Amino acid sequence: MFLDTVILVLQEILEAALIISVFLALIRHFHDLKPGSFTPGHLWIPAAVLIGVSGAWIYAFYMPDITQWFDYVGLEIVNSALQIMIIILLLCFCYMVTLERLEKSPRLNLLVAICLTLLVSLGIIREVSEIIIYAQGILSNPENYSPVLLGSLIAIGIGASSGIILYYVLINLHGLWGLRICLILLALFAGNMASQASLLLIQADWLPYTVELWDSSALLPEYSVTGQLLYALIGYEANPSLLQVCVYIGAVLLILTSPLFLLSWRYNNMQAVSNS
Amino acid sequence: MNPSRVLFISLIGFCSVYCITAFAASQEFELRIREHLFYPSNLEVPANQKIRLVIINEDATPEEFESYELNREKVIPGNSRTVIFIGPLSPGEYVFFGEFYPRTAQGKIIAR
Repeated sequence: MFLDTVILVLQEILEAALIISVFLALIRHFHDLKPGSFTPGHLWIPAAVLIGVSGAWIYAFYMPDITQWFDYVGLEIVNSALQIMIIILLLCFCYMVTLERLEKSPRLNLLVAICLTLLVSLGIIREVSEIIIYAQGILSNPENYSPVLLGSLIAIGIGASSGIILYYVLINLHGLWGLRICLILLALFAGNMASQASLLLIQADWLPYTVELWDSSALLPEYSVTGQLLYALIGYEANPSLLQVCVYIGAVLLILTSPLFLLSWRYNNMQAVSNS
Repeated sequence: MNPSRVLFISLIGFCSVYCITAFAASQEFELRIREHLFYPSNLEVPANQKIRLVIINEDATPEEFESYELNREKVIPGNSRTVIFIGPLSPGEYVFFGEFYPRTAQGKIIAR
């Protein structure tokens, strides 16, 4: 029970922990590049966690009803809608954060911070609601209290540590490459969201079946530690379908053609150094 | 042929293929969860056909149907039913398990 809980909770929170780290590192690198630009403060993380966790409680509470929507595929539809909203908010972030007016307008700055908070909290809602559903079931047996509690705490510890390690690796990357790598990770995260959303819609039969493009499960199984880490970070799938790969590439390209990404390539390292 | 006509024809083609695959009637199969076990634990389905898999959770506790081979994952609240579409599958065996009770809730889909 203990180990099952560690694995399940870790799978759910790893993605959120890693993406928060990427955003923190990105904001820091962006600041080095353009001092006085977007400043979300530090409140956005607790706010995102609070909104995410309370949203997850509400979602978990209504899950039995939502399951029955759209002829029993309601969960897929709502989850994919959450993921599509995350991609849209991510795009809004990448477009708004480069606006020159941002430096002079506290209101615009606040809007970008809200956008960032919302997109992280939407991610948390989906992941944490699954933990809540799991815990509700398993805690109906009082014997499970301590292994589940301990398992969850250890999983949260491992998840948070992975996030912190990633953060320090990213902020120690030198100059513009730090920002570029954060943005590439963000683009892959968008690809991951798009691929998961399309998979859910295929599962619900709202999108058509397409052929499996490859099968690397013998080489790198999804359930292995590396597979799980890569799944959380860049959406690794051992046997994706053609449609999944297409929407993955599409979402990655949307971020890679956004003004924030282009800006990071327009600057050269000299400018970045003279600014910082 | 001008490019817009090519585009138009391919769009029509795509839409019709989409409609045929999306609305083709799929055969229905049933899987039950009772005391954290799947019944049947070996489910035989026809290969190369889309399947509408109805999963009925008779336990009061929730379960999560998960399969890496099938690329499927879905939470099923206690005392409720749900639907997952799978396939068309190539002939072979596809392992699935209940993520909340992985030690007992195990099974496989056999496509023939």
